[in-house]
Amino acid sequence: MAPTKVLVTGGTGFLGSEIVKALVETSMFCITAIDINPPSLGTSTFSDVRYIRANILQPEELQKVLNEARPDVVIHTVGVYPLGAARYSMKGKEAVFEINVEGTKNIIEASKECGARALCYTSSVTVVLDELESEFRNVDERWGTGRATTSYGQSKAISEHLVLSANRPDFATCSMRSAPIFGPHDPATIPTIHGCIAKGETPFILGSNTNLQDYVYVSNVADAHVLAVRNLLGPATAAGEAFFITNGEPITARDLCIAVWKEFGHVPPFQVGIPEGLAWWLGLGAEWWSWVSGTKGTFSRGVILDATKTRYVSIEKARRVLGYQPRVGLPEALRISCQHFKQQWKDQAKR
Amino acid sequence: MPSVTSLAWYAFHPTQLRSIIQWKVWHNPVHERDERKDSETLKRCFHFLNQTSRSFAAVILELHPELLVPVTLFYIILRGLDTVEDDMTIPLEEKEPLLRNFQDVLEQDGWTFNDSGPNEKDRQLLVEFDCVIAEFKKIKPAYKTIIKDITKRMGSGMADYAANAEHNINGVNTVKDYELYCHYVAGLVGEGCTRLFVEAGLANAHLLRKPELMESMGQFLQQVNIIRDVREDLDDKRRFWPKEIWSKHVDKFEDLFEEENKDKALACSSEMILTALNRADDCLYYLAGLKEQSVFNFCAIPQSMAIATLDICFQNHDIFKKNVKITKGDACQLMIESSQNLQLVCDVFKRYVRKIHSKNNPHDPNFLKISIVCGKIEQFIETIFPSQKPPVDVKNPASAEEAARLKAQALEARWDNIYMVLAVVLTIVVITGLMLIVAYFAGARFDIAWVQFKQQLGELLFSTAPANASINATADHSEL
Repeated sequence: MAPTKVLVTGGTGFLGSEIVKALVETSMFCITAIDINPPSLGTSTFSDVRYIRANILQPEELQKVLNEARPDVVIHTVGVYPLGAARYSMKGKEAVFEINVEGTKNIIEASKECGARALCYTSSVTVVLDELESEFRNVDERWGTGRATTSYGQSKAISEHLVLSANRPDFATCSMRSAPIFGPHDPATIPTIHGCIAKGETPFILGSNTNLQDYVYVSNVADAHVLAVRNLLGPATAAGEAFFITNGEPITARDLCIAVWKEFGHVPPFQVGIPEGLAWWLGLGAEWWSWVSGTKGTFSRGVILDATKTRYVSIEKARRVLGYQPRVGLPEALRISCQHFKQQWKDQAKR
Repeated sequence: MPSVTSLAWYAFHPTQLRSIIQWKVWHNPVHERDERKDSETLKRCFHFLNQTSRSFAAVILELHPELLVPVTLFYIILRGLDTVEDDMTIPLEEKEPLLRNFQDVLEQDGWTFNDSGPNEKDRQLLVEFDCVIAEFKKIKPAYKTIIKDITKRMGSGMADYAANAEHNINGVNTVKDYELYCHYVAGLVGEGCTRLFVEAGLANAHLLRKPELMESMGQFLQQVNIIRDVREDLDDKRRFWPKEIWSKHVDKFEDLFEEENKDKALACSSEMILTALNRADDCLYYLAGLKEQSVFNFCAIPQSMAIATLDICFQNHDIFKKNVKITKGDACQLMIESSQNLQLVCDVFKRYVRKIHSKNNPHDPNFLKISIVCGKIEQFIETIFPSQKPPVDVKNPASAEEAARLKAQALEARWDNIYMVLAVVLTIVVITGLMLIVAYFAGARFDIAWVQFKQQLGELLFSTAPANASINATADHSEL
């Protein structure tokens, strides 16, 4: 029997390349990775993986690539999220929607057209949790999507719905709602937290520091995708379903930050608590300031809400249906990731 | 009579006093015991129970009548075994077989033991052990089997440790050894109690199929005691903290107690507390399997005390200097909250876990792990008592078509509004126009009306001078 053919979109990206790696490790799949960018320097590529350059916003080009690769399964990881204050608003909606929604539409069409039997989509916990004013304690997949107040959350909710409603007996689809991902090469989480050290922001505790939040290590998300692919091709109990994927270790945002700073040898010299109410006004002030001064600030009410609200989910469904188990725990995961960044920055400094 | 200092203390801690009064006034035992009917030997057994452990006696004495005597006997039999194990004056060749065969003693009428050292505080129990044996004979065979089985396994476990010379010199080595020791002295008690509860029909039989839960019940209590009593044990030349843990922080166990090693000692105690906290969620899970109120109280009260004790031990250097204790007021408050239902016990756990979390020190090597275990306990409580329900109006689906439709709808609605305003304006204009035409044909003098309008407007805007002019103007026109 010929090995199952898998195509990964965004296959050279942060998560995509990790999924490719996890697929290679099973030695069960014949893998094609497509991406708008070639593999970047320093990331690992595999000799028996085919890397093809393609733009998911060009339907004809995309169809040609997929028809040629004839995958049995497509894993769609491509997505964008706005950085900074725009992450928490509807600003820049069009660009986000174009890639996240139109891109997904194109992938669904092209996958069906080329005869793929399954599609696994990388979604986000934000489809539920991006209702920024609300608190979410151990919520599960029964919670509805579509209340998100950010362009990112909305775009992910819409595209996830497109994917799940495309589910048919001969075209099984599922959605992996991942928590904020960190790891080596991680473009946002760890660099942002590390950035606080230089800015002298580490002593300030926003809110009560009792609000739990979820994070996930990149290889655990990759594992979940591989499990989902195997499920869709096998018992297909995951077909048409969405799953929360996290490290299953909710902690406070403050504690995650401290753990990261510690990895870089920094411990806050003292700690000052800023109550949630005051923080909200500071956020508003920062927004006004960036509006008046015309600069792009990182501090906003969205950031404050994100840091001070309880937002964690249950991964019971993923455990039950997919057999998902976060293999790398947070302490180990942070150690590996920060080690990587330390090395990378040291090398950059040398050059 | 309370001392002056304690009165002064309570004056500044009224909530503590309130808890004590509330407990004393309002607490009624779930099952009242009628002592008059008890036999002389049973009275003696209760006497020993009260003497050996005041805290446990309180919860045991309120147990369901079906289990009151079996659990009392179970407790004092194990206490007798413990007295033999602790006693360093008994030579090993005598001690080991006695420990290994203690379950057979239970069947020997009139057996007593008079060779305990003079300093053993429970030596009298062994001297009068025939009372225990006499009562043991009277309980149901099923209970006897359980108690004998546990006695046998605990006795042989203790014998292994007693015969292990290395253990006697160096104490516990690895974390595995530590947990095995706790298994013998406490995990087995958890198993025995659970089997008694299930046998009496007072607990869910499912608990027996999840042995890790009853193990954790015992482990949690025992580990907390070992953490709290570290100073006392050192003074008694005993050491239960495993070398695997303390050797990461200091070279010699005794160094933990040096003032200059304060930070290392705290880091070491944090690691011990972390090990214990890993059991907390199992304990809550276990409590969910209990059916009867007195059994629930019996199990829940010590667990709540244990989590509160962990909280006062956490990041507290005093544990290396003296025996720290929760206050009497806190103890009463915990007993009030732990003798009702699981939800309140979960609230207690959540409260103390958050207190522990708030004291977590960023410099601590186990900072992240402690944070994770605190989160884990809180998440577990949330799974058994969800504080949120899924929203009823599930705002699903949020599809692209839906979004497009909504957008079109919004656009349509906007034009609807514009049309509506236009229609209103048009209607007013048409009607006003018609009225004006009718008035014109009827001979209305718009020129006069216009001048009057201007005058009146002037009156409104300028108060005095133009007012005269307006009178003149009115006079002019009135002639017409």
